[in-house]
Amino acid sequence: MSVSVKSASMVRVGRHYKVGVDDMVVEVADEALSDAGWRKPDAIVVSSVVYPRLSGQSDLASYVASSLGFQGVSAVAVEAGEASGLAAAMTAARLAAEGRRVLLVGVDKLSDAPSSVIYKVLKGVYHMGSDGWYMISHSAIPGLLADLYMSSYGVDRNTLSYWPALMHSHAKLNPYAMLRFAVNPEAVASAMPVAKPLTMLDSFPLGDGAAAITLAPAGDGGGIATLAAVESAVGPMTVAHADDPLDMPAVRAAWGKVKSATGVNSVDVMEIHDSYTIMAMLILEALGLSERGKAAEQVALGKFSQGGEGPLANPSGGLKARGHPVGATGVYMLAELALQLAGSFPGVRVDGARSGLAVGINAHGSTAYSALLVSSN
Amino acid sequence: MVRDTVIQWRARLSRYRLVGGKCRECQKAFYPRVKSCPYCGSRSVDDVELPRVGRLVAYTAVYSVESEARSGSPVVVGLVDLGVARVVSEITDVADPDKLERGSQVEAVFRKLYEDGDEGVIVYGVKFRPRR
Ligand SMILES: [Zn+2]
Repeated sequence: MSVSVKSASMVRVGRHYKVGVDDMVVEVADEALSDAGWRKPDAIVVSSVVYPRLSGQSDLASYVASSLGFQGVSAVAVEAGEASGLAAAMTAARLAAEGRRVLLVGVDKLSDAPSSVIYKVLKGVYHMGSDGWYMISHSAIPGLLADLYMSSYGVDRNTLSYWPALMHSHAKLNPYAMLRFAVNPEAVASAMPVAKPLTMLDSFPLGDGAAAITLAPAGDGGGIATLAAVESAVGPMTVAHADDPLDMPAVRAAWGKVKSATGVNSVDVMEIHDSYTIMAMLILEALGLSERGKAAEQVALGKFSQGGEGPLANPSGGLKARGHPVGATGVYMLAELALQLAGSFPGVRVDGARSGLAVGINAHGSTAYSALLVSSN
Repeated sequence: MVRDTVIQWRARLSRYRLVGGKCRECQKAFYPRVKSCPYCGSRSVDDVELPRVGRLVAYTAVYSVESEARSGSPVVVGLVDLGVARVVSEITDVADPDKLERGSQVEAVFRKLYEDGDEGVIVYGVKFRPRR
């Protein structure tokens, strides 16, 4: 399965009080379709998580297709919690591989409700038949894992703080990022606590966003990048069932499937799911890019920064600073990587990058998706 | 929501009495009880009452709380090792979360979990507290 990415578009992640989901979708869909040279697609695949739960809208894909005036197209929404964007890409890629011109849209709206309501909605990404009985919000499990990580490996709080600082340094240059300002590592530990030991500066801002890419069969010609593979794997739904809560077997399995499908074993650039600093550390380790317990130290030493050994991590600024408009996040990752490989990402760029990896997870890794993009020239 | 109340009623055995499942094939125990083993997929699972005393493996104090918990912030949540299985639970009766100790003993107590906003139904279940 290899399909062509024809175009990519995004709106800046932020609190867009005056703009609804419909308007954000029109903006990214029109730009993506126009750049692809299409009037309308054969199929539309939509990813959204918070908006359908707040608004009560079912069959959001038909709602979106209908409001865009695409009568007669196939429309389907895909949901996999926080990994929805890449799950939708998995479906979109297979529809494209069968010969269709596909519009993939990720859209979400987190500014329509107070943060405590958003946290209640987002708690649903965890096991609602046990952990969800308690007031775990969205951050309790990451907080537990951070506590366990620090005590198991003897990593101190300040070593973890280099990740958010790196993400902010990238977001500062990304016009689509929500938080475009620098943060010193020293500021992270003393920021407002979210779930101790994690602070506000370890976690994502609540923002709205929309992103779109167009996908066509590989033989279609042109395109800004090639989507070589999208694979996924399920892990334990609760950390209580994990043999080792600091392992992310789903991430390793999804990346393993991509490696065996494509023969590609390393990449130049990646966008990974850093909903909280601890998640980035566990993903880097599950991908085999760092030894267990060593990711934070390697981040601090610049391994994943520009000019480091690489691969460069999250030139977008990541969920931490670009933002995490939940259902849209995976589509942002793909749009950013496609532009990166085309040499036209308007921020931190990897010169001559030939391959990019997107890694999305739900919650603590109850599912993981892995998408490989390669340069199309 | 009424449906929510029914879901809570169905889950009462697990939640009131810490009933989990034990797999006859891989021998692992897990919580809550379901008829299939999350570790190996076996359908040969027996109900098992889990120990009510365990060890606090990790904990956190949550400040970015969800709507129902605004009056109770911070909420202390722990990963508790019961020997045969681990559970995620709220840790209650904690005066100062900074004084909790990893590795210390915690015991199950029966407490109010939350009040169902629409119906006003109070939902009860197990939480853990530091053992004195
Ligand atoms: Zn089993």
